Amino acid sequence: MSGRAPVSAAVEVRGLTFRYPGSGAGVIDVSMTIEPGELVVCIGPSGCGKTTLLKLIAGFLAPQSGRVLLGGEDVTAAGARTRGCGVVFQAYALFPHMKVWQNVAYPLRVRGASPADQRRRAGEMLERVGLAEFAERLPARLSGGQQQRVALARALAFEPRALLLDEPLSALDAATRVAMRDEIRRIQKLHGIASLLITHDQDEALSLADRVLVLRDGRLVQFDTPHAIYDRPADAFVANFVGRANVLRGVAAGPERVDLACGALRVPAHGRADGVPLELLVRPERLEAVAGPGEPNVFAVRVLRDRFLGATRQLEVLADGDTLLKFETTSREPVSHVRIPVDAIQRLPHDPGAPA
Amino acid sequence: MLARVVTGLYLAYLAAPIALLALGSFGDLWLNTLLPTGATLRWYEEVARDPSFRRAFVSSLGVAAATCAVCLAAGLPLAYAVYRSPSARVRALARALYQLPVALPALVLAFGFILVFSSDALPWLGSVWLLVGGHVVLGLPYFLQAVVADMQRLGLRELEQAAESLGAGATQRFFHVIVPSLRHSILSGLIVVAALSIGEFQFSNLVAGFLNRTYPVVLLQAFYGATGFACAATVVLLALALTASLAGALSARQAAGVPVSA
Repeated sequence: MSGRAPVSAAVEVRGLTFRYPGSGAGVIDVSMTIEPGELVVCIGPSGCGKTTLLKLIAGFLAPQSGRVLLGGEDVTAAGARTRGCGVVFQAYALFPHMKVWQNVAYPLRVRGASPADQRRRAGEMLERVGLAEFAERLPARLSGGQQQRVALARALAFEPRALLLDEPLSALDAATRVAMRDEIRRIQKLHGIASLLITHDQDEALSLADRVLVLRDGRLVQFDTPHAIYDRPADAFVANFVGRANVLRGVAAGPERVDLACGALRVPAHGRADGVPLELLVRPERLEAVAGPGEPNVFAVRVLRDRFLGATRQLEVLADGDTLLKFETTSREPVSHVRIPVDAIQRLPHDPGAPA
Repeated sequence: MLARVVTGLYLAYLAAPIALLALGSFGDLWLNTLLPTGATLRWYEEVARDPSFRRAFVSSLGVAAATCAVCLAAGLPLAYAVYRSPSARVRALARALYQLPVALPALVLAFGFILVFSSDALPWLGSVWLLVGGHVVLGLPYFLQAVVADMQRLGLRELEQAAESLGAGATQRFFHVIVPSLRHSILSGLIVVAALSIGEFQFSNLVAGFLNRTYPVVLLQAFYGATGFACAATVVLLALALTASLAGALSARQAAGVPVSA
């Protein structure tokens, strides 16, 4: 339970596997690390195993195989009680019969701290999350955002080895959510604590994380910085799940050419033999509206949907061969042709099982 | 408007017999008139002096207390087991099983008890513990219902996980988190059980031994005597049951989220 020098990763899991009995769902062979002070955001569609991963690290579940290490120490066999992870739950899980300060002081109480120490430490923690004046209230008398800040203060009050947050923002309304997001990041940095945050919200993942971990069907798909995840997604699934994406399927037809249903596309050298199927990614904001044909990679399109969002416009346009393109622009002009710049195109490692 | 009239009529219909009973208990003489004449407290004095009523009053309180104790000791772990069962089918089955006694007429239960416990192998008919056992069967569903629903509403599992991750051991979790956060539903469940036990007649009338007859069983006899005496004896029972359910309603309201002022 003592704080130790961070010689190795604060959190490390190796080949972690847990399948729920009677279903295939769970976590399969996941390996990852969280460095000291780092915030890793785990993202994936519901049922992908992200909460299971958190429970395995917290010690609420025991893996069927694989190891969990905290600060280099193997804790796979230890229960949640001795692991010393601070956990923040989606529904806050504040003790309803305890006042706010008693909730925050609870980890100190079970460790036998004196009542004076409990009060002092709870006061400090509440000060940090800006709730000092609510110390004497019961949790039910606070708003959702306030309750979540109390939960955060409680999870950090005993100097845990890692902070685990299970969809901490999903129960909050949109306005509170953004403010709370910044608050979590601020407190996390203040404590310099290795943290894992679970979410299904890509904005949350991209804006909060030092590194993003993408899970799908229990498997780790990609684990990288937000920029890398967005700019170089591992496959069509990640490309579609993190940000909006055009995933174009075609066939290699020359070293720098791919034939799509809507016509020939000039692309960066792809290194594939002719006739090999390829998947290409183009982000909607990289497309350009042009006046008419003539240049390479220009396609005549019909506008299917045009959503005005103030600063930008999100369009869905249809090119030849029923090729649907998502297109985002700041221009307000009508759209008849779009150009796909060569440097906006990247080849995805082909995954035949990925949804189109 | 119509709803108000209907509500008013229904309340009058509900209250009239009770009001008449209360009136009759203070009336000196009540023969063939609509309302009694004269005012007196002597019926209450007589009930208080009557040895069989005194014994029954004490019996009832004792049986109710014992029933509550057994319901708490058996019901809390049972409720927890039902709540924590990982299988939805097991949960549904358990719920159907423990709610069965609600649909079961107490008379049927009593016949069953008589059949089983008048045998030579289990000759316990007439013992006070058999009476308590029957009341537990009748009351436990209500206790479980209240407590399991509260566990689900609170998300007890997450509260426990939170406590565990904060360093609390099993004993600490039980006394710091489980019991205090469920205190309202435990209390209101027990009060329902107590009220049920105090007012129970069908089962007790058949199964109680002569020396441990409960209050409602003895009360029936009173109606063969003076009207005023019967009324006073009934009002005493009513007061007992009412106290229990009033306390139950209050604690249920607190459990519903109205916080206790510190």
